[in-house]
Amino acid sequence: MYKNLSSILKSVSKPGRYTGGEYGQIIKDKKDINCRIAFCFPDLYEIGMSNLGVRLLYGALNQENDIWCERVYAPWTDMEEKMRQYDIPLWAHESKDSVKDFDIVAFSLQYELCYTTAINMIDLAKLPIYAADRTDDMPVLLAGGPCAYNPEPVADFFDVFSIGEGEEALVEFSRLYIKMKKNGTYNKKDFLREVSHLKGFYVPSLYDVEYNEDGTIKSFEPKYGDVPKKVEKRIIADLNTSYFPTKPIMPFIEVVHDRIMLETFRGCIRGCRFCQAGMVFRPVREKNAQTLNRQAKEIYENTGYTEISLTSLSISDYSCLHEATDLLLEWTNPKKINLSLPSLRADSFTKELMDKVSSIRQSGLTFAPEAVTQRLRDAINKNLYEEDLLNAVRLAFEGGKSQVKLYFMNGLPTETYEDIEGIAVLAKHVVDEYYKVPIRPKKPVSVTVSVSCFVPKPHTPFQWEGQDDLQLLRDKQIFLAEKITDKKIRYNWHEAKVSRLEAVFSKGNRKLSKAIAYAQKNGMRFDAWDEYFDYDKWMQVFAKCSIDPDFYANRKMSYDEILPWDVIDIGVSKNFLISENKKAYKSKTTPNCKEKCSGCGANKLGGDITWCPKAR
Amino acid sequence: MVSESQITPIRIKFKKYGSLMYISHLDLARTMQRIIVRSGIDIWYSEGFNPQPKIVFAVPLPVGVESECEYMDIKINTPMSCDEISRRLSANFPEEMKVLDVYVPETKLKKIMYIDYEITISSPYIEASTAEKINLIFSNDLYITKKSKGNEKEINIKEYIKSLKSRTSDDKIVIDAIIASGSEKNLNPELLIEAIKQNIGILTTSPISEYYTIMRKDMLCEDLTKFQ
Repeated sequence: MYKNLSSILKSVSKPGRYTGGEYGQIIKDKKDINCRIAFCFPDLYEIGMSNLGVRLLYGALNQENDIWCERVYAPWTDMEEKMRQYDIPLWAHESKDSVKDFDIVAFSLQYELCYTTAINMIDLAKLPIYAADRTDDMPVLLAGGPCAYNPEPVADFFDVFSIGEGEEALVEFSRLYIKMKKNGTYNKKDFLREVSHLKGFYVPSLYDVEYNEDGTIKSFEPKYGDVPKKVEKRIIADLNTSYFPTKPIMPFIEVVHDRIMLETFRGCIRGCRFCQAGMVFRPVREKNAQTLNRQAKEIYENTGYTEISLTSLSISDYSCLHEATDLLLEWTNPKKINLSLPSLRADSFTKELMDKVSSIRQSGLTFAPEAVTQRLRDAINKNLYEEDLLNAVRLAFEGGKSQVKLYFMNGLPTETYEDIEGIAVLAKHVVDEYYKVPIRPKKPVSVTVSVSCFVPKPHTPFQWEGQDDLQLLRDKQIFLAEKITDKKIRYNWHEAKVSRLEAVFSKGNRKLSKAIAYAQKNGMRFDAWDEYFDYDKWMQVFAKCSIDPDFYANRKMSYDEILPWDVIDIGVSKNFLISENKKAYKSKTTPNCKEKCSGCGANKLGGDITWCPKAR
Repeated sequence: MVSESQITPIRIKFKKYGSLMYISHLDLARTMQRIIVRSGIDIWYSEGFNPQPKIVFAVPLPVGVESECEYMDIKINTPMSCDEISRRLSANFPEEMKVLDVYVPETKLKKIMYIDYEITISSPYIEASTAEKINLIFSNDLYITKKSKGNEKEINIKEYIKSLKSRTSDDKIVIDAIIASGSEKNLNPELLIEAIKQNIGILTTSPISEYYTIMRKDMLCEDLTKFQ
């Protein structure tokens, strides 16, 4: 097959996506292997190779001598056309073997708009897309990643979902598979039943869902007594001792994050009420500065990258930030390695910090106030003040920067037109701040205002909210466009149709599976890509499948409604989310985990929890 | 012996083959920077705002072409023996790339004027006379449209060919072609394939049944001696 593949590559764009053979890829001898895993990323190679989670799991699984995990990415449409034309099934990068011959096929679901691409990959592997149609001799299909926190829209396609952090869980899962294969007790049904007893695995076929006449869920129950009513997510207790890949694969072609990505901590102390990551990754667990520095050195020596990015949900909240950057700069500066700190909060931005990150190369600054008026910022629990932001930009301007990017969100619960107009006013204040600085760069200031649309997300205090309807979202975008008159302010807004589709799938239930299957069958994929996103076609798909998108995206749910994702337990209690939702409408803030424990419940998961005093 | 303050030029000869033929020159350049950095070779960086490890490549290799004779020049700040450099690079090269030689160069890369390519064609439509037909078309004036960066230009391929011999071997056509390559005059060997497609009528069906490979065998100087 490979010879043919090679000659086909001459006729597709960016053939480097498909070649494999990178430095750092893991090749094993098949005769030593008891379990082969095809780890699929339902997007292009350039996107998938940048994903830290995939790197982590690839490394963690390959730590096991008798397990071989390989990578699979979605072929771009020109390649898919050739594969279908010449009958080439989806293959894995390392061995070039066909995905359908693997033991386990795992998918990382990072965003809702990758669903059709994921299902298309199953189809390209020449496997039936529905779990119920796949037989015992076919691989087990597993999915994980952020979208698994509401697995229901894709529940019919996958045999099992891994909930939470997978480094340890996937090894346990593979061990169980190997054990049952070895002692001859393996069949898919029995295996999945056993899997449901492992912590952190959700097997959708083991649950019955009944609906009320209005389409809401009437009951959601396990079919058998031994199957858990709720699946609690997995976490890694101690990031200082847990596995972290220090010899990543080096892509030949440029990928999105082509640099050292160093994870500093998991979770977020903040609790912004719209933010899913801030809830589902609780409790906060940090790496210490020494561990971080050691890992950075190892990765540098193994890769030759000249840029290190310290990743987290909010890097300024990393308690070892100063210690860690001091340790790093000691050796990265002489080696001309650039250090970048994405996700900086405006209220913790200091001159010292700025001097550190700009010590090698200049880069623009980005802050995410999300909302402008103090009332709305309090409602979403973004504990940040306008003076903090203006202080931060002044410092940046004094330090020689002339470009600032500001992120906001439209359509947040309780939002008024006054809040939207405030974005234009604040942006103007930032411009004015620049011209107040006596010694500033000799060029005009550039302020970019990027506004996304609020998407209600499962497991957040805003999970019950409905999204603004499409027309309202657009009216708000146009309203703001008219308010921004200063030429120094650039206004970008997110396509509201995309956000609407995201909302449908975010809050979706099992009934959406048929729409996704229908869309895939009708050639829809790469929905996250502008060139393939087709809203009108999606509306036709929903109509054809008797799905009412308003029911999912725009309907406000009541606190006592059974939610499709209630079966997943992220550690944070529903009572906490309800209380947070109520506080939003009173514009009442909740202190961050560093200040005070607000009793979200995530400490029941354990772990070495730096900012969770109750857990100690 | 090189004194510590001296910057030493180093030439590395390597091969790049198999699926790595699909890695473009730009991607190779970035990959090579990282290979040298992780090999712990104290490479000289370019000056300026955004210092980069400085690597100069001989005639860039087109996408889809394999090579047994790539050259790149670097400078090193701290002395290191050629054997040690070779050992370190070999440990850090990806599969399908091999270090062939490391030495202190005595020539300039721009001495390269020609490259010797070996083209192998597999096709069920190869006949006994095909090899001879190929020799014939390339011995006469042969005009073809060359596309580059949106521009189209008609060129006479013959002016770029120093020598070309085609023969049949195990049902395959093997072409040995020495063509102008370098900063002054350069021909992408894919254009030879294009000419064959247009004039002989093979390689025009599916890439599954008909395919070809192109291998750079040697880089040559003006007098056709091997470049070193």
